[in-house]
Amino acid sequence: MIKINNLNKYFGELHVLKDINLQVKSGEKLVIIGPSGSGKSTLIRCINYLEEPTSGEIFIDNIKMTKKNKIEMARKYSSMVFQQFNLYPNMTVLGNLMLAPTKLQKVPKEEARKTAMEALKRVGLEAKADQYPQNLSGGQQQRVAIARALCTKQPIILFDEPTSALDPEMVQEVLDVMIELSKENITMICVTHEMGFAREVADRVIFMDDGQIIEEGTPEHFFVNPENERTKAFLSKIIR
Amino acid sequence: MSSLFNMDKWSRLFADPEIIKGFFEGMKLTIIVSVCGLMLALVLGIIFGVMSVSKSKVLRGIARVYVEFFQNTPLVLQTFFYYYSLPAIRRTLFHMSVKEARLPANVYGIMGVGIYHGAYISEVIRAGIEAVPKGQLEAAYSQGFTTIQAMRYIILPQTLKMIFPPLTNQALNLVKNSSVLALIGGFDLMYKSNSYVCATSNICGYFLCAMMYFIICFPLARLTKYLEVRAQRNPVVKTAKKAEVV
Amino acid sequence: MKKKILSVMLVACMAAVSLAGCASGSKEAETTKAETTAAETTAAETTASVAETTAAVAGAYDLSTEDIQNIIKRGKLEVGCKADVLKFGYQDTATGKYEGLEIDISYAIAGAIFGCTMEEAKAKDLCNFTAVTAATRGELLDNGTIDIVAATFTIKPDRLELWNFSTPYFTDHVGFLVKKDAGYKSAADLDGCIIGVASGSSTQKAIESYLAENNIAAKVTFQEFDTYPLISAALSTGNVDCFSVDRSILAAYNDDTTEILPDEFGPQDYGIATKKGNDGLTALVDQVVNEMISDGTMDSLLKSWGIE
Repeated sequence: MIKINNLNKYFGELHVLKDINLQVKSGEKLVIIGPSGSGKSTLIRCINYLEEPTSGEIFIDNIKMTKKNKIEMARKYSSMVFQQFNLYPNMTVLGNLMLAPTKLQKVPKEEARKTAMEALKRVGLEAKADQYPQNLSGGQQQRVAIARALCTKQPIILFDEPTSALDPEMVQEVLDVMIELSKENITMICVTHEMGFAREVADRVIFMDDGQIIEEGTPEHFFVNPENERTKAFLSKIIR
Repeated sequence: MSSLFNMDKWSRLFADPEIIKGFFEGMKLTIIVSVCGLMLALVLGIIFGVMSVSKSKVLRGIARVYVEFFQNTPLVLQTFFYYYSLPAIRRTLFHMSVKEARLPANVYGIMGVGIYHGAYISEVIRAGIEAVPKGQLEAAYSQGFTTIQAMRYIILPQTLKMIFPPLTNQALNLVKNSSVLALIGGFDLMYKSNSYVCATSNICGYFLCAMMYFIICFPLARLTKYLEVRAQRNPVVKTAKKAEVV
Repeated sequence: MKKKILSVMLVACMAAVSLAGCASGSKEAETTKAETTAAETTAAETTASVAETTAAVAGAYDLSTEDIQNIIKRGKLEVGCKADVLKFGYQDTATGKYEGLEIDISYAIAGAIFGCTMEEAKAKDLCNFTAVTAATRGELLDNGTIDIVAATFTIKPDRLELWNFSTPYFTDHVGFLVKKDAGYKSAADLDGCIIGVASGSSTQKAIESYLAENNIAAKVTFQEFDTYPLISAALSTGNVDCFSVDRSILAAYNDDTTEILPDEFGPQDYGIATKKGNDGLTALVDQVVNEMISDGTMDSLLKSWGIE
């Protein structure tokens, strides 16, 4: 589904991604972990071209991503759930969910509304359809953001630290929704520090540090028997 | 001040319907010049405002020069510059006669306030666009919106709400600043009242003029206040009851 | 919100009522003033003969009135003058000193009040000059900031209703200043022209009646400017076709690119203005001006300032 070849990314002088090679299968649940500044967010932002790679290639469904087709590719293949939710504050929850389907995919309004209500039901928020995002709690907002990603029906959803900005008591409600989602044939790439979630959901875990993939394997491998010293040091800090 | 409490001076001002008519003609011209000037200022403001958030260094530089130059020189000087130089430029470029090259004074007034306030409005618009968090644009991109679609559906509606109060404030200042026309024989409200006061030494004419400017500007000031309050408020749930039932 | 509006309206009503109260009081005063004015106007018409009699007792001034006593107590005569009209009232930007015919006349009046000659008044600096414009001169006179206006102030019937004027000390005529290359030869060529005039001046009326009385068919429009330099600049940049004001003032703006048309019309009598009610000062000013005219001082001053 996704194939990344020799991906490099510089921010000015700063070399944030160093020769990344990665393949993700259709329907795979991939979790990326690593200390902050390791380049993990930049990596998934490159996958939908929010960051333009300095060199290297990204293929989705065997189509090479370029600056030119990035919007088309995003529309067709991937949507993203952000750390800061990024809901549109000038629209209701329903408006947030219906905007892209009606304006981009030209879905009739009624159908878009039906899809949106179904998506809201899946995240348990159909009662909040007519509220504005600002009036919801952080956890609820993030669940709306996930529902919004579902409405556009792309096969890939990228999660960029979806629970990092939440109060602790709201983390679980979001994770529950993501766990539910993982039962479907959606390709999920998730940057997170939630090891319990990784353990339950991930097919594969990647540990990144200093712009490189240091270690990869099954969740079991990581939590039982990590090989690399840096991985061990990192895990010992976040698992207590 | 004593004259303001002298009823005789007031009655002399209102005795002649021609004088009052003249004041209203001046007010009409002030409104026309303000509306046209505001249009020009909005067009320039949007063009240069969008330019100043563009990725191109050249466009940003041009916008910067425009804003800094016109914000940091007096409006009166700018208007005098157009007034004194444009006829000569038109004579040379188009080989016009002195009379042909001349433009009506209100054209200089519209240019004066339009270009001057365009610089301020450009900054208002730039600030408005920059105030919308970057994540909004990223969310739009990640859903597959193009930049123009994202601006139209997501960024600008949020920008507009934020910039309306400073924009009406600019409109208000523009109305007052249109009085620069009086200096170049522009027949606006300020000119008419100045002409009356100079001819009669009856400073009640200035007071009437002030009241007429007030009539135009006070509603704008109230509108600014109202929009400010509204911009700070969260949008209210449109169908609150329905939401509860569900 | 509604309460606020109500309270504002209430205050406005109260202000209006108090205004009306003041007005009825002052109106009575105005009526009596108007009567005296009428008497004075007729008096002014006969000043020529009166001047001859007073000339016999030159130097004897009635200083007893309250208005003059106030000036004596203050120690200075407050004068409103021009600051930008060469030969009449002009402020030397380097020294800040005012000079010109009207400045000299002001010192002569100050001398009469403080009991000295014009030269001594000048040496003792007995005048305090304030530059006035058409917009400010009347108000400054009325509110007592200045005692007299000596600022190329033309005597006109409607102005006589508002202020007292002395016997004219100089009579000028309106003229037209045009660009040489425009090819205008007389007023008849000014058809379709824009004429720049000074705000509040009597020039526009003078031109209109000149054209009408001489059956000149030229249709002209007028634009007012606050200062003479602004009109001059508008003429040189082609925003107006003609700069019209009193000829003695025009002369200062005439250079090698411009010319003054031969038309000479609308006599403008300059007088010293005083506030209605300051009858003692009014009489004294008129006496001084008349003495200066009859003893030849005015003529020699005009000559020394190069005014025709």
